[in-house]
Amino acid sequence: MKISESGLIGQSVARTDIIDKVTGCAVFVDDIQFGPNLLHSRLVRSPHPHALIKKIDTSKALALDGVRAVVTGQELSARMGLYLIDRPIFAADRVRYYGEPVAGVVATTEEIAVQAARLVEIEYQPLPAIYDPVEAVQPEAPLLHPDLGEYSVANFIFPEPGTNISEHFKIRKGDIESAWEQCAVVAEDRFRLPSIEHVPLETHTSIALSETNGEVTLWASSQSPFAMRDMIAQGLGIPHNKLRVIAPMVGGGFGGKAGVTMEACAVVMAQAVPGHPVKLRLTREEEFVGTSVRQSLVSDIKVGCDKDGNLLAMELTYYFGGGAYNDYGVNIARAAGYSCTGPYDVPNVKADSLCVYTNYPVGSAMRGFGMPEIHWGLEQIMDQLAEKVDLDPAEFRRLNCVRTDDEIVSGMKMTPINLEACIDKVTEAIDWGKEEKPTAPNKKRGKGIAIMWKAPAMPPNPGSAAVVRFNEDATVNVEIGGQELGQGSFTVAAQIAADVLGVPYRKVTVSSPIDTKYSPYEWQTVASRLTWSMGNAVKAAAEDARKQILETVADHWDEDVDDLTIKDGLVISFKSEREQPLDKMVIYGLPNEDFEGWKGGPVVGRGHFMPTYVTNLDPETGQGTRAVVHYTVGAQAVDLEVDLDTGQIDVLKIASVYDVGRAINPDLIMTQIEGGAVHGMSSAYESLKFNENGEPINPSFVDYRIATIADIPGKIIGDFVETPIEDGPWGARGVGEHVMVQTAPAIANALYNAVGIRFSDLPLSADKIYLALDEKLAQER
Amino acid sequence: MLARPGLPEFEYIRAGSSQDVFDLLKEKGADLKLMLGGTDLFVQMRDRAQGPGILLDVKGLPGMQEIDYRQRSGLTIGAAVTLNQLSTDLDLKEKYPVLCQAADTVGNYQLRNRATLGGNICNASPSADMAPAALVYEGEAVLESPRGERSLALEQFWLGPGSTALEGDEYLKAIHFPPPPPGARGSYLKLGRSRMGDLAIVGVAVLGYPDKSVPAGLRFRIGLNSTAPTPYRIPAVEEFLTREPLTEDLISLAGEMAMEISSPIEDVRATELYQKKMVRNLTVKVLKETWESLR
Amino acid sequence: MAHHMISLLVNGQKEKLLVPSNLTLLHVLRDMLGLTGTKNGCEAGECGACTVLLDGEPVNSCMVLAPELDGREVITVEGLAKDGQLTPLQEAFAELSAVQCGYCTPGMLMSATALLRRKPHPTQQDVQEALVGNLCRCTGYQRIIDAVMVASRTGGAE
Repeated sequence: MKISESGLIGQSVARTDIIDKVTGCAVFVDDIQFGPNLLHSRLVRSPHPHALIKKIDTSKALALDGVRAVVTGQELSARMGLYLIDRPIFAADRVRYYGEPVAGVVATTEEIAVQAARLVEIEYQPLPAIYDPVEAVQPEAPLLHPDLGEYSVANFIFPEPGTNISEHFKIRKGDIESAWEQCAVVAEDRFRLPSIEHVPLETHTSIALSETNGEVTLWASSQSPFAMRDMIAQGLGIPHNKLRVIAPMVGGGFGGKAGVTMEACAVVMAQAVPGHPVKLRLTREEEFVGTSVRQSLVSDIKVGCDKDGNLLAMELTYYFGGGAYNDYGVNIARAAGYSCTGPYDVPNVKADSLCVYTNYPVGSAMRGFGMPEIHWGLEQIMDQLAEKVDLDPAEFRRLNCVRTDDEIVSGMKMTPINLEACIDKVTEAIDWGKEEKPTAPNKKRGKGIAIMWKAPAMPPNPGSAAVVRFNEDATVNVEIGGQELGQGSFTVAAQIAADVLGVPYRKVTVSSPIDTKYSPYEWQTVASRLTWSMGNAVKAAAEDARKQILETVADHWDEDVDDLTIKDGLVISFKSEREQPLDKMVIYGLPNEDFEGWKGGPVVGRGHFMPTYVTNLDPETGQGTRAVVHYTVGAQAVDLEVDLDTGQIDVLKIASVYDVGRAINPDLIMTQIEGGAVHGMSSAYESLKFNENGEPINPSFVDYRIATIADIPGKIIGDFVETPIEDGPWGARGVGEHVMVQTAPAIANALYNAVGIRFSDLPLSADKIYLALDEKLAQER
Repeated sequence: MLARPGLPEFEYIRAGSSQDVFDLLKEKGADLKLMLGGTDLFVQMRDRAQGPGILLDVKGLPGMQEIDYRQRSGLTIGAAVTLNQLSTDLDLKEKYPVLCQAADTVGNYQLRNRATLGGNICNASPSADMAPAALVYEGEAVLESPRGERSLALEQFWLGPGSTALEGDEYLKAIHFPPPPPGARGSYLKLGRSRMGDLAIVGVAVLGYPDKSVPAGLRFRIGLNSTAPTPYRIPAVEEFLTREPLTEDLISLAGEMAMEISSPIEDVRATELYQKKMVRNLTVKVLKETWESLR
Repeated sequence: MAHHMISLLVNGQKEKLLVPSNLTLLHVLRDMLGLTGTKNGCEAGECGACTVLLDGEPVNSCMVLAPELDGREVITVEGLAKDGQLTPLQEAFAELSAVQCGYCTPGMLMSATALLRRKPHPTQQDVQEALVGNLCRCTGYQRIIDAVMVASRTGGAE
């Protein structure tokens, strides 16, 4: 592993965006000013969870003064999708969830758009709706997508036309039947997890402008400017070079701003009023319904081990409630499939991971991408099995956890990790095994542990590109297409470039906003893949620029390139001890002797990275040489107490440790660990709730509670382990999502330890906990 | 239906005198809504398809933002007094601490700079945080109309969720509280889904004070919210607690009685059963605390 | 709909504006004055992203009507730093990296500024009570608390 050039790697340099963000100068999409030419829009949403659209009458809406256009799906049959092209931009003949966009109204003011939206008359013929993914796979269930067999689909996704199953991923490994016979102990249970929302503080906002020449510009709060361009361009038949996506700072993403949700609606509306930018801004209430949500999951898990606790067999069925459209969600079921065992070494596995259509909002990517969903059950059943075989839960995990070079569930050889070290650190941090007194007599205290793994879930070959551009004064612009969501990707990009180029960190600027017209390609800012993939690209681009500089100087001095380096903006020769400042020469080059001509020229480094080594998996067995690029692993341990009078949980401590490969910026890792612990804890109490009409009943901050500053754990003890991987910059891999994956089951395990009740369904509401305690007490009496 | 962005169109009028209010109420009646802090009103206006045509801001009327405490007659809080103003008032802190305590549990600090006592009372929300405290201090709504001023005990003022005894020509001018009984102690305990800032799943206020005329030597007033169509007191339990010298067992029985009397309905926040059990547990807890502080 | 002529002081500047009744302070700042540091997060007084100081006290600007502003003084996040000099609170947020996506940050700063003015040496509990109406989904809040505590030692609100 090459060491850091100038010692910047591993340093907690300050965020590039910090001053803008503490002064109110950071520009988010809704902050961009468009002047009086701007038009406003509102979407007309379905009041039914499942219905046929019989008739749409827009005449009254169009007749309202100030209304410029009304668009519906009836004039536009385009569908979009990332992996499975199943989603209309506006519903055409059928609506499949409450809140689905059916029409869009463009007007001179938002108020007129609101009024006009109420005047669009739509006649529906309601159809039976289905909400539970287990019920939705039954033969008699109402079918949401009768045309499923006709949709285009990625070659690694396997829908089952004629059913509601949009993806069926299978693992058949070893000999499951004979393995059960060898098991001394078996645990079996069903776990349920409801849909939750990302809840970024910034709601989805887009402004689209269609020029009279057909060129389209879209300003969007987006994690995926390039994927967004690709999907909308394909869906609407716009050449990629005529569709420009500009994505300024993102006010929180968490997966909710990956792919496309409402942005295509803005484009379609803008196309109806060429020459006018059209703004579509979702309200907080719409954000809960009209973007995407984390999929629900029902998991049936059976697991067995020998008398010493060695895992032998696992049988799993995952029913992901994918909502009305599964264009992105299919790959969540796939990722859950090839990682179905969690971070354990299990020789015999049978698993079926299904993504299932239901009449709920669109399920899609959310921080963890299937992993929080499956670990909710996995990490509890492991405790159940450990108890049956009389092993301490931490000990059981040390015994069975996956190790470097193990053949894992997909048949792939495990990339370098050290999960045991993570387990050791978290158990030490909360004094695992030591019984602690509750802080009050009406409380019970308990500790729990949970471990996790997650691979970046993506197509086999998502690419990153970067350009490093010098300016006259030897300051540098780094151009990337990766997005800054708050996780610090711009900081890491600047840090990597500065280190490789040998220039001071403060002299490097990351060009923003990301603009598909100028920025180099990035697949998406998802999957915790930027530090790794974009990092590789920036490193390559900086190395390219560095090479150009050193070759010019070496030529100029008539020295060997290998004898030169760049430090603090000076090219230095180890041999001759000569020095050459970078400023001016990085643009104008260097003169030959006696100014007989010049060498060099403007330095522009380019680099890219694309994993080339991910292989196909057998559709019947899920086995292959390399399912994914690598895994990140980690452990969390929780010390909590429960108030017996109210059922409320107080998390006293969360210890959270991940193997990051190599820490490029340790403090940024800690910010992820801290934020993730609270996000994970909050997710244990969150749930989107619906009435029998599929209508959400808590789409507001009043009734969808997210953790406030008063709800935080008493203490978060974060740390990391560094086991470098071969394909990451300096061995680094991502950690942004992982930090919340197993928090909910760690809490559930601690809760079991405290009160002896196992909660197999989320959320862990005080209501549910109290009533379960009450019932247990009644039984004991 | 999902809430709309921004507020619908309306006419904003600031009332300068009670006569302005009477005139406009008479003229515009049904199309007019009185406005104090607006913190609940604006949210309701975004939720509903049709809003009032006129918002009549009555915050500036004489006396509306004043807190007036007199040893003999008690406390009068203008309807437009904000919850932060109320909770930091020194007279209130000393004489009516449960009101201050309750005020601090409403929403969040920013909101309490706008939200008013009058608004919290007029909204007639079953979960109004000020209500249990206002009930145990035996608050009265002071109503003003062209017919003159009248006072109505809060129990009579609230008729049901969102419904009050305000007549069409009336507005709430102030809330009046008689002087608290000598030696009174009490507190408000609220259970929400978050540690702070949530609406009450259950809220219980208790005010206890020495009373030699009853066998217990003490009296308690108990006010609850969120578990019936309006905030309410539980006189049967209050009376039960006067009958003999207090014991922990009696307090437990009182909790059971409170649970029986409560009539919560399941909603997005909690099940009916949980709410009932919490009425019991919180009532017991606040009664015990209050009893402790009286000893 | 009738409009109202209002005069107010925003970040020390006198402004005279013609506003419709239903416009909130949030939109006066963002759409009429171009002060976009104040963020729109819920329009329901629940998230705190739009917090500004009104006559020195923090309010959710989505909960204040424009015609109510006549004669009042408003300070927004843009009004904190003077001549490019960050306040100790802003410095502390930067120093401790108490920011991720940054969307809640302006509101956090305004609530915390007001806290430090009324209580120069708050406890952690005080900070939590003062900021419970400012939601953040990224940071996990601890650094925000720490930053306010640091600022209380290094110079407070200004």
